[in-house]
Amino acid sequence: MKLVVISAGLSVPSSTRLLADRLAAAVHGHTPVDVRVVEVRDLAVEIAHQFTSGFPGKALAAAQDAVAEADGLIVVTPVFSASYSGLFKSFFDVLDKDALAGKPVLIAATGGSARHSLVLEHALRPLFAYLRAVVVPTAVYAASEDWGAEGLPERIERAAGELAALMPGTADRRAVDDGVVPFAERLAALGR
Amino acid sequence: MQFGIFSVGDVTTDPTTGRTPTEGERIKAMVAIAQKAEEVGLDVFATGEHHNPPFVPSSPTTMLGYIAARTERLILSTSTTLITTNDPVKIAEDYAMLQHLADGRVDLMMGRGNTGPVYPWFGQDIREGINLAVENYALLRRLWREDVVDWEGKFRTPLQGFTSTPRPLDGVPPFVWHGSIRSPEIAEQAAYYGDGFFHNHIFWPADHTKRMIELYRTRYAHHGYGTPEQAIVGLGGQVFMRKNSQDAVREFRPYFDNAPVYGHGPSLEDFTEQTPLTVGSPQQVIEKTLSFREYAGDYQRQLFLMDHAGLPLKTVLEQLDLLGEEVVPVLREEFAKNRPADVPDAPTHQSLTAAARKKEAVA
Repeated sequence: MKLVVISAGLSVPSSTRLLADRLAAAVHGHTPVDVRVVEVRDLAVEIAHQFTSGFPGKALAAAQDAVAEADGLIVVTPVFSASYSGLFKSFFDVLDKDALAGKPVLIAATGGSARHSLVLEHALRPLFAYLRAVVVPTAVYAASEDWGAEGLPERIERAAGELAALMPGTADRRAVDDGVVPFAERLAALGR
Repeated sequence: MQFGIFSVGDVTTDPTTGRTPTEGERIKAMVAIAQKAEEVGLDVFATGEHHNPPFVPSSPTTMLGYIAARTERLILSTSTTLITTNDPVKIAEDYAMLQHLADGRVDLMMGRGNTGPVYPWFGQDIREGINLAVENYALLRRLWREDVVDWEGKFRTPLQGFTSTPRPLDGVPPFVWHGSIRSPEIAEQAAYYGDGFFHNHIFWPADHTKRMIELYRTRYAHHGYGTPEQAIVGLGGQVFMRKNSQDAVREFRPYFDNAPVYGHGPSLEDFTEQTPLTVGSPQQVIEKTLSFREYAGDYQRQLFLMDHAGLPLKTVLEQLDLLGEEVVPVLREEFAKNRPADVPDAPTHQSLTAAARKKEAVA
């Protein structure tokens, strides 16, 4: 199965990527997955260009294809100004609007303090609900202090287990209808 | 194969001089460009239709009627006619009238229009765009083909005993193309009726155009009009030329960088690599245009966008000289090579009339 990780951290190394990698490893512990990590930072310019030109550059198109073919996604953003980062949101703004339909998604975020942890419920969960993804119940927030505290590994493990449990079912849901609606049917639907 | 130009009709400030043409100047420039197209040996002039600034061509048949009177050979077309927000009855009347005035030198390209507010301004809803295109076009076809129409639909007042006048010239409606960048429903609509399919082509990578054309060709054959290779395909293109390719790049760059649609985005170099845009010598334009056939197959109509982004009229007319003198003659010759004999030309009033007479004779 294919697991795609979208990481929107900006620094190298980044705690966002660190959390993303731990989540991916935990999923792999539950069920064998091929992991592909998309660093949104590397696609920043192509994302901006897609806003202006309407089509993705080569690297961004490859990332979008990977998302479309994924059996599950882990998405991780740093918290900026009380929400996901603009670049993280932009990646999904230029994605095909049906690309995530029916796909299991694990949402996660990092921040400097625990005070922003509900960003997952107030910002990320509605975004992925709008995109018709199946968002796993446990979302994972890691504040700076969590990296030295108890609780984070357990939350990672629980969220990963939930994602892994949802992934085997996606192959069926993913059956995208590439077929054309015959024109006669379309005409008939208008009542003629 | 037909070659021509299509104009969006944008009023755009020339970024090199800061000058913005008046609406009147732009309208007259479009007419001058159309006349020049005939003078340099092109086959088609197509105007856009827009109902919002900064665009001038809100009334295509007024403009095309005027051009018809000042030209002799040029086919007058649209890019596109808004089948969603125009009343199909008015389209039937306006373009039949134009057919008579232009002695049949008329065809149309149907499009939906992607400007949300235009729909409510004309009493419609963009979310019904596909359905409007389907229902309105079905009615338009009947209005041109049946002398008396009784009709009832979802979007328009019913018609009882309605006759659209004037009747199409020689009883033969204008040929119709359907233009769509990304809606398979429209490729299917074109195929269902055996109409032409035009892909704007110019702002998108080639593989995207390829998929849409392949879908149309496959469905054209499915609906029984011929082989996929016989479907009627048109493509857009966008070029800027100077004898010396460095001069072309230098002169066009400020227009590219500030252009509506793609300006302030990708670099000129990236965009020319990723899309059909060619900025260079006439020879480069020839090579790039010939390469379209590799993914679109043998096709029938090539239209170039030559007059946007604030390019001054003088420059556009120079471009048309180069296009007509150095590019199109070579393209005609090269595209004719290895073209299978059973791939048809784009239908014209003459060919459609001859086909109709032949059908009558058989009957």
